[in-house]
Amino acid sequence: MTAPAFSLRGVDLRIGDRLVLHPLTLDLPAGQVTGLLGHNGSGKSTLMKILARQMKPDSGEIDLFGTPLATHAPRRLARSLAYLPQHAPDTDGLTVRELAALGRYPWHGPFGRVSDLDRQKTESALAMTNLMTFADRQVDTLSGGERQRAFLAMLMAQDAECLLLDEPISALDVAQQIDVMSFVRRQAMEHGRSVVVILHDLNIAARFCDRLVVLSHGRVAGQGAPDDLIHPDRLETLYGVPMGIFAHPTTGWPVTYVL
Amino acid sequence: MSDRRLALTPWLAAMTVLSAGLTAANLAPDLSMLDLDRLLAPVPQDVDAMVMAYSRLPRLCIGLLCGAALGLSGTLFQQVMRNPLASPSTIGVEAGAGCAIAAATLYLPALLGWSRDLVALSGGFLAVGLVFLIAGRFRFAPLAVVLGGLVVGFYLGAATTTLALLHEYQLAGLFVWGSGSLSQQDWRPTLDLLPRLAVTAIAAGLLARPLVLLQLDEAARGLGLRIALVRAAALAVAVALAGFTVSAVGVIGFLGLAAPSIARALGARRLATRMIVAPLVGALLLTVTDQTLQMLTAATGAFLPTGAVTAMLGAPALFILARRLRAAQPQHTARGPVLQRVQSVWLLALFAILVLVALTATVVGRDLGGAWVMELVTALQPFLAWRLPRMVGALAAGAMLAVAGVMLQRLTRNPMASPEVLGVSAGSAFGLLVAVFFLAAPDHLILTVCAALGAAAVLGTLLVSVRRVGLGGNQALLTGVALAAFLMALLSAVTATGDPRAMLLMGWMAGSTYRVNAAEATVAGVLALAMLPALPVLARQLEHLSLGSAHARSVGLPVARSGLIVLCTAGLLTAAATLIVGPLSFVGLMAPHIARRLGFACCLPQLAAAALIGAIIMVTADLLGRTIHFPWQLPAGLLSALIGAPVLLVLLLLPGWQQHEPKAP
Repeated sequence: MTAPAFSLRGVDLRIGDRLVLHPLTLDLPAGQVTGLLGHNGSGKSTLMKILARQMKPDSGEIDLFGTPLATHAPRRLARSLAYLPQHAPDTDGLTVRELAALGRYPWHGPFGRVSDLDRQKTESALAMTNLMTFADRQVDTLSGGERQRAFLAMLMAQDAECLLLDEPISALDVAQQIDVMSFVRRQAMEHGRSVVVILHDLNIAARFCDRLVVLSHGRVAGQGAPDDLIHPDRLETLYGVPMGIFAHPTTGWPVTYVL
Repeated sequence: MSDRRLALTPWLAAMTVLSAGLTAANLAPDLSMLDLDRLLAPVPQDVDAMVMAYSRLPRLCIGLLCGAALGLSGTLFQQVMRNPLASPSTIGVEAGAGCAIAAATLYLPALLGWSRDLVALSGGFLAVGLVFLIAGRFRFAPLAVVLGGLVVGFYLGAATTTLALLHEYQLAGLFVWGSGSLSQQDWRPTLDLLPRLAVTAIAAGLLARPLVLLQLDEAARGLGLRIALVRAAALAVAVALAGFTVSAVGVIGFLGLAAPSIARALGARRLATRMIVAPLVGALLLTVTDQTLQMLTAATGAFLPTGAVTAMLGAPALFILARRLRAAQPQHTARGPVLQRVQSVWLLALFAILVLVALTATVVGRDLGGAWVMELVTALQPFLAWRLPRMVGALAAGAMLAVAGVMLQRLTRNPMASPEVLGVSAGSAFGLLVAVFFLAAPDHLILTVCAALGAAAVLGTLLVSVRRVGLGGNQALLTGVALAAFLMALLSAVTATGDPRAMLLMGWMAGSTYRVNAAEATVAGVLALAMLPALPVLARQLEHLSLGSAHARSVGLPVARSGLIVLCTAGLLTAAATLIVGPLSFVGLMAPHIARRLGFACCLPQLAAAALIGAIIMVTADLLGRTIHFPWQLPAGLLSALIGAPVLLVLLLLPGWQQHEPKAP
């Protein structure tokens, strides 16, 4: 295995009296899709915000590709790390193309010239996410799936080697879910990007992730390849409901169901 | 991109033609009499040439500059705070400048002789420094800036008015300055202003790109933006633009709010477009106003300050265009911060404080020698007839304004909403104005009826104009703001004429309780009591309405109807309270925030707590107004700001909010 994208040592966070994350020591692999699973309130989003440096842990160290996360200048970090928050903000009249172009900010900064490369990356991000036909529509007039893709396009234009996605498919229909997750997977397989994605659907996670990390009450409750991790006993302890597993009749992937 | 963009060109063209036409009509007759030599090097004996070269031409230029600066400043404020009500007045620049000038006039007149600009400018910056001190603790989160700005602005505004009331004669000129006068005697102010504005405008241009990213909230940090830094820098630039303008020509407040909104309604969708169109709109609007005004002055001889009249033209423009704005947008700054949730039992503590304050206000006074005395039982009897009505009136008015404030803030989901903002108070003030000026010797009953009619007229206009778009959005707020600005402009224009009848209004507008009689107090008290049983019924609807109309509709609430009921109730309460404490009280805006900050987060406890707090502040203000400057009186409406603002300030500065904001590196 290559050097990890993220390497966490003793990272913890306290909000008020509550220890949201117990000291975590964890490696997240480079060039792969890592699924972050766990019950509501298990600390997934908090962990992701810490990885994205949106929040600061109370203690512990995090390395991104071998250098401490805290030492990166903000725009330097944004060039290698793109983060999609769970709730899309109000875009206030921006068109899809303008939104995607915002993803180039880490590269041209506040005063730099907008180069041809910036425009080219924006256009190819729109093409990648199949948004060319919507490019001049205002984002707030789009459907939920299209809006989600518009934000993905911004992330693509950002051109970072590491993607952090907080529930990117929670509002999408089945076809769109598969669409987005295949897209995310291609980013890892074909472009060597490291992806960390928070998911709720175990079957989607098992199918599209190389590796799963399961959080429970702020601790790592298990990690490994989907096949090793998705076991009826472990699932029951994680989610508190009895669950079963069978093999997908054509592909053989594990499929979970609630008993 | 969209067809809306097309709307921009004809409107702007029309405005340009109008302002150019007016300017030409105003200046051309006199200009044509002068040849270039006389104009470029006028000799002192040549009065026409002197007036043109050193007064009228610089006046045109400084108007264009100031209009543009205010338009740009407002655009920056609205982008940083993500609130269409934000403007230079929001953050206290003007209040600070006004207060500094008033204080300097009274205590250090030499300073003014040295440089009035610098006094105004440092006053404005000091006020903003205080706001930054508060907002900085919250990483310049929009709500913190808005609250801090309003508190500081209200406080300084009230302090200035108090000074003006205590020293009426020394500060008469302040009214003219406060209403913004473009009159010029030479080119120096223009030439001073030009480089200052140029530098700040360039800084604004440099910030354009990071500012767009602010729309993305936390995602902006993901793109490598130092959010707090960008907000602070943009606010500093916006403050500088407004501060330079204020120090040069005084307060032309409404432009900063109206120009960006008008630009947006004209279809300036992108920030970059707005940053060009809004200054243009501002410059044109101010020119149209000022040229019209000059012609009026020439024709009638009446002197009116430009700042006041700007709102008379700008407000109708905003009024008409507000309906073109996009439908309601979610406000992520909808609710004030909660310190720590508390049990409703604590309402009893507030009630106990109210009882204590009310008792004190009844029994404490000062004797002929000025010594503090406490009258009990029989000694109290002769005073009751004087003290009881005003105490009851203040109590009822405070409670009603606070409740109206909670209702409006929750209904519109905007922390800046308040009874004054919707123009209801201004409506009753206008009713009084009409009565005082056009009716021969109106008695008290007639005054009351006129004020109520004025409030009803404003409420009716508001309801009719927002009927199509619904009440929960920004349109309703902006329409109310336009109405309020229009009426207040009329009032301040009248005040600026120095008419003795206007002084009567001034006293009333400051919110004096000393004329409250038993009948008025009874009416207010009965209304306040009648409001109590309605609260639980309305509270449940409000709780849902404040989560947004989509949610409210989905739980089966008839959104339009309950919105209407809430708005009418708030309007009625405001009108009743305004009659007693005047239109400029601070309670309706701040009591809801104090209640939330104390930890009363749900709707009904917040309503109850706000009512108690409003009553406590008002009664305290009445008591202090009656005693501290004995034998003279200070208006309770003013003092309520001087009492309430520090309370909220302290609550804002107490630790405890930070944990609701994500910790950021």
